[in-house]
Amino acid sequence: MGLVGVQRLKEIVGAENVKDNKADLYVYGSDSSVHQAMPWVVVRPHTIEEVQNVMRYANPRLIPVIARGAGSGMSGQAVPIKGGIIMDLKKMNKILEINLEDTFVRVEPGVVDDDLNRALKPHNVFYPPAPASSRIATIGGEIANNASGVRSVKYGAVRDSVLGMKVVMANGDLIHLGAKTRVEATGYQIDRLMVGSEGTLGIIVEATLKFVPIPKFRCLGIAKFNELEEAGNAISEIMSSGIILSMLELMDNIAIKAVNQALDLGLPDVEAILMFEADGMAKEGVDIEVKRMMEICKKHKGFGLELSYDAKERTRIFSGRKKLFPSLSRYKEGYVCTSLADDMAVPYSKMADMAKKIHEIAKRNNVIMTAYGHCGSGCMHTKILMDPIKKTQWEDAKRAVFEIYNFVRSVGGTTSAEHGIGISKAPAFKREKHESLELMRALKKALDPNNILNPGKLMDAPDDWVTATKLRYTVKLEGK
Amino acid sequence: MKAKYIKDWENELNICIRCAYCFEGCPVFKELGWEIDGARGKLIVAYGLLTGELEPSEYIAEKLFQCTFCRDCVERCSADISVPDIMGAVRADLFEAGYSSDSHKELLKKIEKSGNIFGKEIKPPVFEGDKAVLLGCRLVERKEDSEKYLIILEKLGVKTKTFNESCCGMPFAVLGDKKGFSNQQDKFRETLPDKNEEFICACTTCVFFIRAKYPDLKAKYIIDEIVERLPDYKGKLKKLNIKVTYHDPCNVARGMGMVDEPRDILKRICSELVEMPTYGKQAECCGGGGGLLVSDDKLAEKLAENRVVQAIETGAEVLTTLCPTCEFNLKNAVEKLGGKIEVKNLLDLLYESMM
Ligand SMILES: Cc1cc2nc3c(=O)[nH]c(=O)nc-3n(C[C@H](O)[C@H](O)[C@H](O)COP(=O)(O)OP(=O)(O)OC[C@H]3O[C@@H](n4cnc5c(N)ncnc54)[C@H](O)[C@@H]3O)c2cc1C
Ligand code: SF4
Ligand code: SF4
Repeated sequence: MGLVGVQRLKEIVGAENVKDNKADLYVYGSDSSVHQAMPWVVVRPHTIEEVQNVMRYANPRLIPVIARGAGSGMSGQAVPIKGGIIMDLKKMNKILEINLEDTFVRVEPGVVDDDLNRALKPHNVFYPPAPASSRIATIGGEIANNASGVRSVKYGAVRDSVLGMKVVMANGDLIHLGAKTRVEATGYQIDRLMVGSEGTLGIIVEATLKFVPIPKFRCLGIAKFNELEEAGNAISEIMSSGIILSMLELMDNIAIKAVNQALDLGLPDVEAILMFEADGMAKEGVDIEVKRMMEICKKHKGFGLELSYDAKERTRIFSGRKKLFPSLSRYKEGYVCTSLADDMAVPYSKMADMAKKIHEIAKRNNVIMTAYGHCGSGCMHTKILMDPIKKTQWEDAKRAVFEIYNFVRSVGGTTSAEHGIGISKAPAFKREKHESLELMRALKKALDPNNILNPGKLMDAPDDWVTATKLRYTVKLEGK
Repeated sequence: MKAKYIKDWENELNICIRCAYCFEGCPVFKELGWEIDGARGKLIVAYGLLTGELEPSEYIAEKLFQCTFCRDCVERCSADISVPDIMGAVRADLFEAGYSSDSHKELLKKIEKSGNIFGKEIKPPVFEGDKAVLLGCRLVERKEDSEKYLIILEKLGVKTKTFNESCCGMPFAVLGDKKGFSNQQDKFRETLPDKNEEFICACTTCVFFIRAKYPDLKAKYIIDEIVERLPDYKGKLKKLNIKVTYHDPCNVARGMGMVDEPRDILKRICSELVEMPTYGKQAECCGGGGGLLVSDDKLAEKLAENRVVQAIETGAEVLTTLCPTCEFNLKNAVEKLGGKIEVKNLLDLLYESMM
């Protein structure tokens, strides 16, 4: 970015809101994925007008603009693969309106999910998508990724909470999408198109979200299984028997081992653990649902069953799952935990097969993989644990990722349930959606003719994720 | 720049999953708001210096010294990364590459000259019992106050003994002067009455630091001693009629995991204890640690003001804490904000209650 360009951006957003020091650019070139690339400049707008003016400056000059919230995306969505302007939206963080009468909230895109819920709590309502990263993830980032979480089985993904939004288009125009009402059948649902668009179609500058009442009762249960298959059968039966549940989580043996090794929580060394939860306004209703889940677990040889309504007890029961992430990072000396092939969704009846396949593929390809996830919404999580400085490990990981997605497609699953496509998952995504790629490209061209909005992602991302960008690790040739 | 010290942390820098969970409570990130200001950003810069993709600069040094070592990021980390240790290493590399500010040099010179952070001769009150008590630079300088704290111990049955202390060396370590630290460590050890005997430590920073950097020494925190002895104490312990809020020093709550004990004491001696929005292990840092008071005093002051505003909003009359550095920083902020609350060490309150 030339001096003149930086100067112009300083005039638009104020000199104190522009950074072009190499160290800052290096930091903003990374997110929670394996990718890294240098932007040219970072800007921090505070108003919609500033966003518009940045776009009006960038569009005719064909300068890429990458919207950025917390940069917690795991697939390289916010990594500036083609350089350009990083638009850090974290300072547009005002809650504009909490409308209790019409049950919606209007927020700027940089509002952090947990901050929104802290503001809603005194009114006994909550915004429910709850990705695990809710403590830092921004509403803009969540919408652009269609985020979801442990309770999405009941409350849906972000798309189910979005009523409308304001979007700044590539040319700087501001458009209003959706409505403030619960239903809308007024033409194309373009707000839906923006959900999951990963910053490639427009900059979300305001969102209207619905909220729901905080349930009065919540009951969490746990069951252990000696066979993964038995846990899988329990999942299938719970999900097909009409139970209204708010959570169903699986942890496989590697996940259990990792937690035990790191934290000494004393989880039994079994093949699988299921955690299930129901919530509601009436205890009787919650009781019925959790007891039915408990019975199903028993029927499929689940043992060590526990149930609790008590908040402290629930925290204890869930602590193993909660500590899984840090534990995986420490599973094996010299290994790191990478988000690759990490959030596929498969039909309920295929969850156990998927978990077994993951183990088989990991073994064959010299990496460690675990299977856990939000079974209630069909989402299976994995992490690839590998030595990131060994070149051959990247070849191993690449093969494993390829084989995993082949299996996902073969059972009717989909590439990403919640973490999005970005760069790392683009090759699998392209294979899965091969029939609609041209339509997606046409849509992108119609909305962003100069291809400046987060270019090189999704359908336009490189076919080889390993070489798509510089990797964030320093990969060494074997033996050196 | 030779990445001599940061090299040891390469594996940890790889293990960091760059999740940004450390943004949530980082006082510096909250105040300045660019990603380089949070732990993730700082670790990425450290990684760039290690690989040579980044060259050291005044700007990088400024950013890497803007960390209070508060451990809030450690508490929230997805991968158990010890950010302050990594900051210590990268600062050491920067120090050796010549990135040390005049204010850093001045402070370290003072310690070298006088054995304390004030650069002048200071002496603790004289107590000649058998249990050694290390007061730490700040408390030695506040002779009247430290005398009261020693009296508290005496009343609880400890026969205390003071000695001519030399600084534990913490400022050298956090500002990256490895050689200076090693020299100061020797001086510190020399002044201890008996290296094999347990001693009581009245300063939160010193005790946390000594436990980490002098594993052979037996430093007991004054609050542990008090908590152990208080149940058998038969003397006066009156209830003070004040509404108080407690600021958890980072080294006490996150560093040593001590959250309930100070509160239990306060509940016994004060009429009302109220909490700020963040407390315990999630308590917001006041900005006094990690050498920020010398690296960027304006930022340290701003962070203290943020904390004081939270304290004032509780409606408390007294903002109490345990760390003398927090106390110093918070007092300055209160003064700047027009004195709407009084800052007092918890030990001062305990002393009043015993008198
Ligand atoms: C430890 C960890 C756990 C996670 N758990 C979950 C989980 O449980 N569920 C889940 O769904 N995700 C999860 N994620 C992934 C990630 O946190 C979510 O996708 C989150 O929604 C991203 O928000 P962000 O603010 O960090 O967005 P960023 O990473 O900054 O951006 C992500 C994408 O959104 C675009 N974008 C951001 N803001 C805007 C805007 N205002 N307008 C247009 N485009 C925009 C960016 O250009 C980019 O393409 C997890 C991540 C981590 C590191
Ligand atoms: S929370 Fe821990 S793992 Fe996550 S970015 Fe910060 S230091 Fe790294
Ligand atoms: S130690 Fe404190 S100031 Fe330093 S990076 Fe961590 S949270 Fe921020």
